[in-house]
Amino acid sequence: MAHIPDGVLSAPVLAAGMAVTLGGCALGLRKLDHDKIPQTAVLSSVFFVASLVHFPVGPTSVHLILNGLVGVALGWAAFPAILVALLLQAVLFGFGGLVVLGVNAMNMAIPALLSYALFAAFARGGNRKLALLGAGLAGGLGVMLTAIMVAGSLALSGKEFDAAAKLTLFAHLPVMAIEAAFTVAAVGLLLRVKPEFLGIAAPEGSYA
Amino acid sequence: MLRAATILTALCVAAPASAHKLKVFATAIGADISGYGYFAPGGRAQDSDVTVTTDGKVVATLRTSSEGEFAFTAKSRTDHIFSVDAGDGHVATYRIAADELPETLGAGGVAQTPLAGTQQRPQILPLGPTPMSAAEIRAMVEQGVAHQLRPLREQIDAWQEKLWLHDILGGIGYIVGLAGLAFWLSANRKLKSAGPAIREARR
Repeated sequence: MAHIPDGVLSAPVLAAGMAVTLGGCALGLRKLDHDKIPQTAVLSSVFFVASLVHFPVGPTSVHLILNGLVGVALGWAAFPAILVALLLQAVLFGFGGLVVLGVNAMNMAIPALLSYALFAAFARGGNRKLALLGAGLAGGLGVMLTAIMVAGSLALSGKEFDAAAKLTLFAHLPVMAIEAAFTVAAVGLLLRVKPEFLGIAAPEGSYA
Repeated sequence: MLRAATILTALCVAAPASAHKLKVFATAIGADISGYGYFAPGGRAQDSDVTVTTDGKVVATLRTSSEGEFAFTAKSRTDHIFSVDAGDGHVATYRIAADELPETLGAGGVAQTPLAGTQQRPQILPLGPTPMSAAEIRAMVEQGVAHQLRPLREQIDAWQEKLWLHDILGGIGYIVGLAGLAFWLSANRKLKSAGPAIREARR
């Protein structure tokens, strides 16, 4: 449900999404440091492929989004990374429409930024356990906020989010749990081997 | 962890599909159009609204069954567009072209005389005392062929959503290429800002 197809949303919502995404990408690219380019590309690839990982949930299947992890690892650079990955998903896999690309990118990148802010707040102190807790919360928050933003985009377009759709929020509970665990694992590894990757200033030897 | 995942999965058994992409498939066998809405990696669009449009006018609104299926009997030989709305932002359409509907349906709207033996298969053509007209035989053959072709068309429709390794690798390749472009641009920018010094040093 995170990938909205074309022909569903109203023009003002589309325009707003486009504007927010353009602004976010401009800011993200301006803040993108030379040294962070490979990292951004790797996480963009991870995001691109993550949506292919399906989990059976009852009679259906849900897929990973991983925008929380992308946000935690990239900060503002998550905007261009997510936009590029979404564009490729739309063109190559047919996930989501091209006209709604701005809205889809906004719905996944804004939660990524908030996940980043949450994680940064938890990790600032240099306490490993607290940082991992922040990572888990950020991973879950990314999915939850995306679901809420998708619901909001539909509601603002005059589409009532009916009972079946409300249940899809529940279908995303396992996705949230899996992404939280995934983000904790990834951040745990990074804190051990390469804490500077996460872009949080911490004294030498912390997070041990 | 595994147990938690199992519990969560069990909790969500009743949840509807929420995959990436909704698709609609329908075929006409005679004037009877039947089809279903389905999600690309799996699952059917249950209890979803279906609107049937011909010539830009909504002629019927249906609802899919618990198997995601719907059925509609065409009353005119015009293009029928079936639009399924899963209610969570997934919408998909499918067009049944006028050519697929029997010629006995008038293009204007009123059905002409219904065929005798519509339910019969072409294999058991009754060559009884009253021989069938050429039109009747043609209509029955068309129905039979449509019936036989349905699984094949279903397969082709689903096949379009198959993910190919070359698509995945191609996408990653694009990202690598964009990263290279970003490197070049940022190096260019650095070179410009530190231009004179570097140019001096190169000499």
